[in-house]
Amino acid sequence: MSVAATRITFASPDGELNFADGDLDRWAEHLVWCYSLIGVAEGSTIAVQDFGTSPLAYLGSKLLMPTLTAGVAERLDARIICLDASPDRIVLTPEVVRQVTPDVLIVRADILALLLDGSSRAGVDLTAVPGLSLVVVLGGESPPLPAGDFRRLLHCESSLLMAPQCTLCGCFHLREGVYELRGGTIHNLVHADAVPCAPRDLRPIDETCPLAPGDTLFELGRPEGGTR
Amino acid sequence: MTATEPVRSGDTYDAIETWSPAQLADWQLERVRHVVAGAAGNGFYAGHWREADVDPRRLQSWEDFRRLPLTSKQTLVAAGESWTARGGNVAFSTRGTSGEPLVVWLDAAESETFIVPTMRGYWWAGFRPGQTALMQSPAWHRLAAMEGHAVLRLGGNAAYYWGSGGPQYAGYFMDALERVRPQFVTTTAPFLVSLLRRFEDDVIDARAMFDSVRSIVAVGLPLTGQLRAHLSDRLGSEVFERSGTQEGAAADECAMHTAPHIHADVCHLEVLAPDGSPAPAGARGRLVVTKLHDTGDPVIRYDTGDIAERFDEPCGCGRTLPRLKIYGRPESSVNIAERRITAYDVRTCVDADPELVGRQVLLVRDGNDGDVLNVAIEGTEHNAAAIERRIHDQLGVERVSFTWLGRARMAWGFRQVVDKSEVQER
Ligand SMILES: [Zn+2]
Repeated sequence: MSVAATRITFASPDGELNFADGDLDRWAEHLVWCYSLIGVAEGSTIAVQDFGTSPLAYLGSKLLMPTLTAGVAERLDARIICLDASPDRIVLTPEVVRQVTPDVLIVRADILALLLDGSSRAGVDLTAVPGLSLVVVLGGESPPLPAGDFRRLLHCESSLLMAPQCTLCGCFHLREGVYELRGGTIHNLVHADAVPCAPRDLRPIDETCPLAPGDTLFELGRPEGGTR
Repeated sequence: MTATEPVRSGDTYDAIETWSPAQLADWQLERVRHVVAGAAGNGFYAGHWREADVDPRRLQSWEDFRRLPLTSKQTLVAAGESWTARGGNVAFSTRGTSGEPLVVWLDAAESETFIVPTMRGYWWAGFRPGQTALMQSPAWHRLAAMEGHAVLRLGGNAAYYWGSGGPQYAGYFMDALERVRPQFVTTTAPFLVSLLRRFEDDVIDARAMFDSVRSIVAVGLPLTGQLRAHLSDRLGSEVFERSGTQEGAAADECAMHTAPHIHADVCHLEVLAPDGSPAPAGARGRLVVTKLHDTGDPVIRYDTGDIAERFDEPCGCGRTLPRLKIYGRPESSVNIAERRITAYDVRTCVDADPELVGRQVLLVRDGNDGDVLNVAIEGTEHNAAAIERRIHDQLGVERVSFTWLGRARMAWGFRQVVDKSEVQER
């Protein structure tokens, strides 16, 4: 819990997150941990197609946020390109990808279909750009994803929940000491304002991953449908 | 005294605001010589200047500077890595309303450079220690990335509403306004207009909603005087125009609201006549940007395509920084009988009617009528003859045709010119 005074507030659809000095760095460190499990390499160029009010965007660099001493860019020696998730900006993505050649494109699940359709109309199949990995950001209630080879990150905004799908074990990781799963509901143990969230079709997996043996593992989606 | 040494006496933020024109010109020329010397090692500029047969090492005067050839978005996009060193950590894309977006990189040194004018602009608009600013996301625009830093360095708190700049996020803004009770708001002008409509539709008392807010900084579109007054009146807060480009132009309005003052410590802005010579003050021309620090990507004599005008007469606020109004881009204007008419110009003629101010106005491009100005206006018909007269008197346009869009409400966006087929489809 933050005892220092709030300096930065992000309102979200169902609450608000307040940050005092040092808080943003803690979450930037966590996001980098998520990226490492997803397989985002150091030195990557990361394009983030999300609203700028998402931590996936604003934790991208210390240049974007006061009080943040090292964001993803500084911690991973990465480069971040901010792409808004609104429809008029999504149409720019194919050209930006052509110019910037990112290694990773992080996309909100609810705009993925729009982005892929629009890009293919512009002559770019984003699922087949050499060297480009797509990371789909699922919310607690994400729509089914189109077919494709996507890495996944569960992000519930007002819960400050960021849980990566591990490239090694294939499960989502709830990081030890940061979150706790109690009866289908995930609690943030670190950030006082964060509200608990209960992602749809969360299935705990009673195994451990050698990458992070203390983490709680889970899958999303109905067993017969696979992880969608 | 250095340009950015804070003074903070009265309403003034720092020393450069009251430098004499000669002092500013000399200081800027030194900066220009420095950045040009630095860019001589940039692959793109080296070739660009060699092609034009100018030697950047011999730059001694403003005349020499003006011999440097212009650059454009197309040339920079085509130059790719030979122009941008990509030394920065964060990139922003321009909106690409005129074709391809240009990607600009920001590094830590450049961020520091541009936070200072942001603090200055916020100070002019009345932001003071202890206040809270409610802003649009830091990632949507390069200048927005500086705003949170400026707010905290001025001793305030930063708050952000969820989502993006479209009218569909008005509810999230209102929610944040009630939670945070800010004294200061920064958002786009189209968003403020969408908010007013939302308040009207939902019978919400706009002034009560904004009662904690003292100042509003509006970005993204040039405000007509009438629209600024209308927003200030309806929201009960003083509205200030902030303008700039991803490529480095930066300007903020003072409390006189005559036109934004240029942040001359970070950018040298030229307004050029069609023949490439400097347009006289008070005449419109193309906006050309030069960044004054060798941080980030070098931007030297970059033709933004924007239509702008400089005002050199003294401002009533006492600041000597020149003022500049950006009216719009080629794609937010149409040519009527060889005269360039911007959407801003037409909005000025429409906004003059108190019944019409704040309504969405679109210029309709129709390949067939070279001398007819087609204007689409939201809502039911109102005083068309008077608008036509103003367009005739103020803009010199002989023939105007109106399309009244009825109750079909449109998102007030950055696009201000549409094709005829788009209006018919509505
Ligand atoms: Zn002034």
